[in-house]
Amino acid sequence: MNLIRWESTDPLESFTHIQREMSDLIDFLSSTPKIEGYVGAEFPQVVVSINKNSVIVRAEIPGIKVNDLDVQVSEDILSIKGERKPNVSDETVTYLRRERNFGTFARSVMLPEKVDAEKVAASYKNGVLTITLPKAAEKKPKQITIQKS
Amino acid sequence: MDKKEHPVVKKKKLTPDKCIVTGKGEWYYPLSDIYETPDNFTILIDMPGVGADNITVDMQNNELIVNGEISQEAYTDEKVLYNEYNIGHYHRHFILSDAINREKIEAKMSDGILTVTLPKAEHVKPRKIEVKEA
Repeated sequence: MNLIRWESTDPLESFTHIQREMSDLIDFLSSTPKIEGYVGAEFPQVVVSINKNSVIVRAEIPGIKVNDLDVQVSEDILSIKGERKPNVSDETVTYLRRERNFGTFARSVMLPEKVDAEKVAASYKNGVLTITLPKAAEKKPKQITIQKS
Repeated sequence: MDKKEHPVVKKKKLTPDKCIVTGKGEWYYPLSDIYETPDNFTILIDMPGVGADNITVDMQNNELIVNGEISQEAYTDEKVLYNEYNIGHYHRHFILSDAINREKIEAKMSDGILTVTLPKAEHVKPRKIEVKEA
């Protein structure tokens, strides 16, 4: 009779090996080639932050004319639309390297709080669009007095 | 069975040995375009959030070094809920050949885009040679 020696002390160890192999496989399959810049990403990229009185949305849109931007607020959705135009045409120059993208874009952001649409302010400086949306009055906490009966 | 695990091998990242940027904050490579016209080469670099005062364009030997620093004071007293881009300084460098007239390099900044104009040197500009009748 042949005796088979049990090599591994822990029978679960082979499972951890399989698990590792599987996770490597998943990593391999899910690793899409890294796309740089705006290609494939939502444009413009935004940062949504909040302070005591307002919601602030920032978007990096370098080199756009303010007239080409369209910002709208309806209920709790903020939409930014626009067109980024190159300032030189392809015909007059020869491109040696192209990383920046141009074209129309549109995106909507759901706001974290109710805002006062009448008092929304937007500014554009150094290629960054900053939209300040004051919180609606009803969202501010209201003190309730308790009456002793 | 050999139980020894292979170490995770990663491609070694080579850091540029010529201009290592030190200091606070993250540094990013901005996107840029380069195009050529009969008289100039032009480099366009997207540097949103950088004002004209915070940009330095230096020539060192053959390298054109562009640094843009960003002020991070805007985020004080705010809680960031959703973040798609990181704020950081910008750095990029380009190696220039002799075809550029280094004395006349110009840079200007508008709406987050830096435009660097590199005029071509006289000896590389196209020149028409007149044919004389003999």
